[in-house]
Amino acid sequence: MNAPTTTELYIVINILVVLALVYSLVKFAWNHPLRHGPGYFLNVEVPAGFYEGPGKSWLGGYRAILVAVYAALAVALGACFALGRLDATPLWLGGWALLYVPALVVFQAWTRYKLGANPPVRPVALALESRRLGDYISWPLEALLATAIASSWWMLLGPGGTQSDWLNAVQLTWFALGLLPARIAAVRSTNPLPVERTEEHYRYQDATRRIAVSVLSALAWYLVAILFGMGLRHAWSPARTVTILQWFIRGGALAFGGYCIVLMFHGQRRLASMGRDLRPAGSWSTPFRRAPWIGISRPYLIWFAIWFGILLVLIVYSLFR
Amino acid sequence: MFLTLQDNDKRPIYQQIADGIKALIARGNLPEGTTLPSVRQVAADLGINLNTVAVAYRQLQEEGFVAVRHGAGAVIAPRTPRVVDPAELLKPLRTALTQLILAGLSAPGIEEMVRQELALLQQKGDTR
Repeated sequence: MNAPTTTELYIVINILVVLALVYSLVKFAWNHPLRHGPGYFLNVEVPAGFYEGPGKSWLGGYRAILVAVYAALAVALGACFALGRLDATPLWLGGWALLYVPALVVFQAWTRYKLGANPPVRPVALALESRRLGDYISWPLEALLATAIASSWWMLLGPGGTQSDWLNAVQLTWFALGLLPARIAAVRSTNPLPVERTEEHYRYQDATRRIAVSVLSALAWYLVAILFGMGLRHAWSPARTVTILQWFIRGGALAFGGYCIVLMFHGQRRLASMGRDLRPAGSWSTPFRRAPWIGISRPYLIWFAIWFGILLVLIVYSLFR
Repeated sequence: MFLTLQDNDKRPIYQQIADGIKALIARGNLPEGTTLPSVRQVAADLGINLNTVAVAYRQLQEEGFVAVRHGAGAVIAPRTPRVVDPAELLKPLRTALTQLILAGLSAPGIEEMVRQELALLQQKGDTR
């Protein structure tokens, strides 16, 4: 048995990512506007019979955008394969996300503007239960993650037998470190609770936070496992020569990636079943604030823009240097 | 445990929060030692200013319903009978009774209303 080559690994990663994206399209994205039941389109409350009338064209428009975005993904992927740039996964995936997310945000904004510009004002419930970061984030595990990152850099900076790809290591570190503020933002994110079925709405919000934190944690571990593997290969010669160790190091990272994808889909399924017929946050205003567009505060959005911008610059630079 | 804030309530927001928490304490829904959410959390959940929530918590603290402990936040204080001047307690009662009489309610009607409200306050396990 030979050790897996980098090209083989990229083929496996690309196949896994494409399968995950197609599954996500079919199982979740296609009917996303209906996830809160036929009384809503995306986050907007619609009248009964909407989907027999104008709702058909709205749903058609949404699905046309999805098809266009996924077609762009297929073209980008085909180009990467044709050019032999299998290592360009971060670029096509990042580029696709840059197309996908704004397209849906703009469509949602248009929907809100045309169908629900003035959401009704309703009484609001306040949960009198404390939410602490420690209830959602395991600090010992975070410390272990930080230790793994520090150990990886300690190995990479020491003498070793490989030429270190510093840029790749910086990318992975930046990506993984940025996921901690993302988890904190997920815990802090909140939406008003309606006075009807308050307990269910509360549990739905809580599940959303927990699922987001677990997926982001698994993603961070995936990135750190790759970084740690780089460090090991650099500093420890058996990691470069013993086949089984190479399988273990690379397979371990892939296992974290697979686990992250499984958690994401499991979470989405759970939220879809919990959120059925619940009132989406954007469909109503409270006496104190307007219906939110997204449940993330402005400071976190600014942080996200900086983090994602620097990440994108690092990815693009690594491909064209 | 949830507190409901109505859209047609004329009271200031901090008063609605303080009164709501007091009602839950009176019903026994918030027992001694229960930790209340932080000012930041309540402000974020309701989309209101931090100071508004802080005023509500300060009022509860001043009236002895809540104790602020370093590191633990606001905690429901022990329910010891409060030494309050009976004349002070009668003032809001007189105001409310005056309003009810001026609204045209009869004495038996007012008595029935008071009985119902008292029963509601004494009802344990009600989350509203």
